[in-house]
Amino acid sequence: MTRISVLLSQLAIQPWRNRRRRVLLSTAAVLCAGLTGQPVQADETCQSPYMAKITGEEEFVYVWTLGLEGVGDGQDKVVTVDVRKDSPTFGKAIDTDSVGGRGEAHHGGLTDDRRFFWVAGLSDSRIHIFDVATNPANPKLVKTIDDFVEKSGGVVGAHGAYALPGRMLIPGLSNKNHDGRTGLVEYTNDGQYITTHWMPTAENTQGAAVEKVADGYGYDARVLPRKNVMLTSSFTGFSNYMRPLGEVMKDEEAMKHFGQTMVLWDFHARTPKKVFNVPGAPLEIRWAWGPYNNYAFTSTALTSKLWLVYEDTDGEWKAEAVADVGDPAKLPVPVDISLSADDRTLFIDSFMDGMTRVFDVSDPHRPKQIYERKVGGQVNMVSQSWDGKRLYYTSSLLSNWDKTGADGAQFLKAYSWDGKELAPRFEIDFLREGLGRPHMMSFGSSKLYAS
Amino acid sequence: MPSRTVPRLILATVLCGASLAASAHDLHEREPNAGQPIGPSTGYAFALPDPGSYRLPAIRPAAGGSVLDERGRGHDLADLLQGRITVLAFMYTRCGDLCPTATLQLSLLQDLVAKDQRLAQRMHLVSMSFDPDHDTPEVLAEYAATWRSSEPGAPEWLFLTAPDRSALAPVLAAYGQAVSAKPDPGAAGGPLYHIFRAFLIDASGQIRNIYSLDFLDPELVLTDTKTLILNQEQDQHAASPAP
Repeated sequence: MTRISVLLSQLAIQPWRNRRRRVLLSTAAVLCAGLTGQPVQADETCQSPYMAKITGEEEFVYVWTLGLEGVGDGQDKVVTVDVRKDSPTFGKAIDTDSVGGRGEAHHGGLTDDRRFFWVAGLSDSRIHIFDVATNPANPKLVKTIDDFVEKSGGVVGAHGAYALPGRMLIPGLSNKNHDGRTGLVEYTNDGQYITTHWMPTAENTQGAAVEKVADGYGYDARVLPRKNVMLTSSFTGFSNYMRPLGEVMKDEEAMKHFGQTMVLWDFHARTPKKVFNVPGAPLEIRWAWGPYNNYAFTSTALTSKLWLVYEDTDGEWKAEAVADVGDPAKLPVPVDISLSADDRTLFIDSFMDGMTRVFDVSDPHRPKQIYERKVGGQVNMVSQSWDGKRLYYTSSLLSNWDKTGADGAQFLKAYSWDGKELAPRFEIDFLREGLGRPHMMSFGSSKLYAS
Repeated sequence: MPSRTVPRLILATVLCGASLAASAHDLHEREPNAGQPIGPSTGYAFALPDPGSYRLPAIRPAAGGSVLDERGRGHDLADLLQGRITVLAFMYTRCGDLCPTATLQLSLLQDLVAKDQRLAQRMHLVSMSFDPDHDTPEVLAEYAATWRSSEPGAPEWLFLTAPDRSALAPVLAAYGQAVSAKPDPGAAGGPLYHIFRAFLIDASGQIRNIYSLDFLDPELVLTDTKTLILNQEQDQHAASPAP
């Protein structure tokens, strides 16, 4: 085991009289941590590595849901879905917590201790913090941050919420001018502003090496701690994401204002090191989990490509397109992706055709599609359990981009995956239930807070 | 960027006692995927930034609270944090996985700082137990003797506990350190769930960094400590009136 050898090599340099005792203690610790029984883990594989993990199957799925006028109370809300197999309310929405208005509910995330679920709005830039620890079946709104734009120095469109030790990292999508230049904002776990890191631009590269252009746009942010690297991706600004998709697609000028970069950062120093040329709006980033697997995947919404960002044999980080997602000429618009915990299977949703495609990415440079299924008229987010056996899909992308009519169904659909095909478990019609447009999901469990 | 790299001791920030088998950075060796490039720095290594080449913004004031030292003497934690840079780690001695590993890292940090007498006088280490029922001052004294350097030039390393749970609760709350009992007190890894966190606190009592075990690397924490000192000197120089 590498870590024991690392420990021992570190211990070998110590001249202390109590060295032997240290070896015994530390080795015991690692052995205990590494070789004890392994209960099944069930957790989103796309979550921050800093987060606590659920032991056993997830019990609840928290769905950050965009309010829709005329549907229920019309407000953005967190919907709690019961996914306990033996529960009488299995597959049902058992709790809803509205936030008092509509702010383009989009993404969020749990704190590192999983006690708080942060959810954000792209139009109002508000961040709502829910306590999911006191009663995981019944989250409670405990705080709303409504001065994000002011505190951050002008970041608009609070997007994700990514757990760091004792802190949350909030990537933005825009700024007060409503274009795509933006930054990353840090908060304490209890909602106190810490600092802002602006994305590198052509005018201020902040010392980063630029492959082609530094557009300053943002979207996702993900950390690989053991390599001290963070990757960010890029989408578009407020003026595009709040506008009807049909209009944007027909506007030649607007189409020029989509992200075409990914940035590799020195995470510890929070300084950008390299700006990759990744055209077509690279969105979700998923780092591989394996200790030798120094790479991440992303998909580009406008060019329908799967990209690999990897550390090459020369120690340099590089980005390359490794596969098409569907037929790029038909604009399937890949959106969310989910990488299995063993780094071998990648699920890719595409919004326009409502498909989920499964790729064998055992060789990350040569992905092979092994399965596809139409989930609905539109599909966006996918979350998978740590054991890879259960997947959850939601339908909404953006209020002005979602489809209407027959293809405009709003749902959460749950499937089982046996390595070959998806089999339906349950689904919830979010319009019929008066809930709204379901978007981002996180898992919960009462066992996290056993006392 | 210097070329030296830091050997990484990676453990996932998971709850003590939960299996680490499926954690972010698995303790089990897994062969790399077929066809995947194996770079020169696979495993756990990265280049250290130069001290002072980056900034560590103030996160929040470090809280105080009623604590006991190894001799059973009472203190306000805030008083112990003033005047020196502190590396504060929460732990408990019955922990069987994350805490001893973290304590090992702290002991290596103590060894490193011992080589720099000026720095050793400007910083210290504090291990704070969140298990006062078991971790009495006497227990901590024995535990400390196991880990603490006896070198005269080593920085001070305090081992603290709380008088009781009621005194401990506000301290844990202030540092966001959630602790709960496992259903099985005999569970592997120890009887308590917790996420490991350590804090870098400047001499004026502001938290400047929070470490998971991923980043509790002695050389990295040393670099951060030097960065605090260099940033302070740079700020003082910038604020000095022109002659």
